[in-house]
Amino acid sequence: MHLPAGKISLTAKLVFLYATLLISSVLLVSYYSYWNIWQLFITNKTSHIRARAKPVIEHWLQDQKITDPTSMAKKISRRNLLPLARDLTSKDTVAIILNKQGDIIASGKRLSEEPTPPPPNLKYVGKALAGDNEVTYWSKVNDKAILVFLIPLRLQPDSSTIFGAIQMSTSLADIDQILLRNGSMQISAVAIVLCGGVLLGYLLIRYSLRDLHSLTDTCREIAKGDFSRKPKITRRGDEIGHLARSFNLMINQLEKMFDSQKRFSANAAHELLTPLTGLRGSIEVLLRGAQDNPEVLNRLNKGMYKEVNRLIRICDQLLAVSKLENSCHVEKQKIKIHSFMKDFIQQAQLLARNQTVQLLQGPSLTLIADPDLLEQILLNLLSNAVRYSPANSTISIGWKSLGQTAEIWLADQGYGMDEKTLTHLFEPFYRGSSACKSETKGAGLGLTLTRTMVEAQEGSIHVNSSSGRGTTVSFTIPLASR
Amino acid sequence: MKQIQILLVEDDPVITEFLRTGLGYEGYAVSVVDTGNDALNIIRDTTFHLIILDIMLPDMDGFTVCRRIRNRELKIPILMLTVRKEVADRIKGLDSGADDYLTKPFSFNELLARIRALLRRAGNIRESTRIIQGTLVLDTNRREVRRNGRQIELTPTEFNLLKLLIRHPGRVFTRETLLNRVLGYDYDGGTNVVDVHINHLRQKLRDRPPILIRTVYGVGYAFHPDET
Ligand SMILES: Nc1ncnc2c1ncn2[C@@H]1O[C@H](COP(=O)(O)OP(=O)(O)O)[C@@H](O)[C@H]1O
Repeated sequence: MHLPAGKISLTAKLVFLYATLLISSVLLVSYYSYWNIWQLFITNKTSHIRARAKPVIEHWLQDQKITDPTSMAKKISRRNLLPLARDLTSKDTVAIILNKQGDIIASGKRLSEEPTPPPPNLKYVGKALAGDNEVTYWSKVNDKAILVFLIPLRLQPDSSTIFGAIQMSTSLADIDQILLRNGSMQISAVAIVLCGGVLLGYLLIRYSLRDLHSLTDTCREIAKGDFSRKPKITRRGDEIGHLARSFNLMINQLEKMFDSQKRFSANAAHELLTPLTGLRGSIEVLLRGAQDNPEVLNRLNKGMYKEVNRLIRICDQLLAVSKLENSCHVEKQKIKIHSFMKDFIQQAQLLARNQTVQLLQGPSLTLIADPDLLEQILLNLLSNAVRYSPANSTISIGWKSLGQTAEIWLADQGYGMDEKTLTHLFEPFYRGSSACKSETKGAGLGLTLTRTMVEAQEGSIHVNSSSGRGTTVSFTIPLASR
Repeated sequence: MKQIQILLVEDDPVITEFLRTGLGYEGYAVSVVDTGNDALNIIRDTTFHLIILDIMLPDMDGFTVCRRIRNRELKIPILMLTVRKEVADRIKGLDSGADDYLTKPFSFNELLARIRALLRRAGNIRESTRIIQGTLVLDTNRREVRRNGRQIELTPTEFNLLKLLIRHPGRVFTRETLLNRVLGYDYDGGTNVVDVHINHLRQKLRDRPPILIRTVYGVGYAFHPDET
């Protein structure tokens, strides 16, 4: 499938959208879990270290036997506090002890592998000296993340007298390492999921849109006029399946229309060509010398006159058909059936050749119809009845009410029609076998036109006939609602 | 010479009329029927040299008639008249046993040419290319005219004029007919052209009484052969 330059295909758009969504959701999830794990580690570590520090401090306080603030002042010396700091220091944790002013009195770091404590942050130290037991923060020393806790030093564990603070700091290198390992694992997992997801998505989208592509190709073929190509009827139940099926339906409909159109023009040409053959041949024969014989000249002239009239009749009917098909403006009005039929019968008697036309009165009804069309319908039916009945037969016209409509019928005692004619008689240009019995040939458009006119007024037409038994044509016209 | 019998199977009255008249003028004997059944019946009793068969007949189509004739092992040449130009139809026509076809509306001249070709092929006419009338000999192949063995140079128009007259000895042609047949149907000059050509022809033929190309006063011209 080729798209105009600068246009992105639907597949690409969908894949892009899908990948973006996938990536952002994966990123969100991994960021959230990373944050969670970090939090968990820190809380864990904090409570662990604090729990370890608590008994050590309490033990030291007991050893000092401090009872009042004055005796305590003497005890706050480097010599006294150093063992405490030492006790609180381990391989990854260093404790320093600060006095009330925030100065370092003792530092637990003695071995070189023990981490260097960060300088005290006065903001947090102040908080601890004010009595906050849970001050925890993290800072950076030499670009390494370090977790810092502050524990206020009280006379008694439950006393409100604070004479200093212990700052314990522990490196977060281990957490970082775990998280890093975890992170790199996560990144590769994410990468795999993303690649797999996008590929899968691409395949899925391609699969879903595959029929769309074939549909497009088929469309193009049809646009070129090739109706033989139909999209494969897929058994898909989704929207594309529906689309393909509706599309097929549309093509079939279009093809039917095209076919009937084609047949119509072919038949029309055929109808015109026959009289033209007669005309051309007659003229040629005359020019070749037949014109020198007045009797022959007269005979051929009469034939040509008939052919010209036939051509005119066919053209008139063709025009009528196309006019009806293109814009059938029906001007409906209320018609009293009694007076309308009485007027029509007078015309009908003039048209009949040797037949009797009789009117059988029905109930008085008011129709809603276009009087011109109605008259044309009746004239067409009458002209058929006259043409396809022998002399001295009777043609009857009548009507009755039928539900919300009036059914008007016209019966003759003529030649009737065989089965084949009955099935085809409304087709344009169809002429039945009874047509041979008539002198003036129609184009086979009369009943086609008649049906179109009846249907334009929301009626229906029905023919009842059998060979040799005459024909009854009946059609319905809606009644005016009272 | 025995007359050529042609059977025309056609139901359109006007086409029938001009074909009957036109072919009659050309010297053919034409019988007309308007249904397939009549056609099949009449060929049982009468022999024809050629059948002109319309494809659309009221009772059956031309293909069927054609096939039935062939089933009877009759080798009469059949010329079909069709309306449709579709190749499929032509193939169907030829398959059903027709020898040739013409699509309506055809030109009568072409019809005549096809009829002659079919008859020649069937061996019904041995059209000689030499027409001999008295002292006059006309060779249509070489387009040569001799009188008493002496060659006469003629223009194409004069030749065609002479050929037409000499083929129908005794028949009176009006100036209009001669004009149409020799100069074409769409020539729209006056008829005195014909008189001019006739005069030239007479001079070249050294036409002295008893005159070969005679003027029929108020009508036209006719050819009368001299005695040898
Ligand atoms: N009243 C009738 N009696 C017998 N045959 C009829 C009658 N009306 C119509 N037909 C048949 O139906 C064919 C189609 O009719 P129509 O469409 O009016 O064309 P046409 O111009 O040939 O009459 C006719 O050729 C004829 O064979």
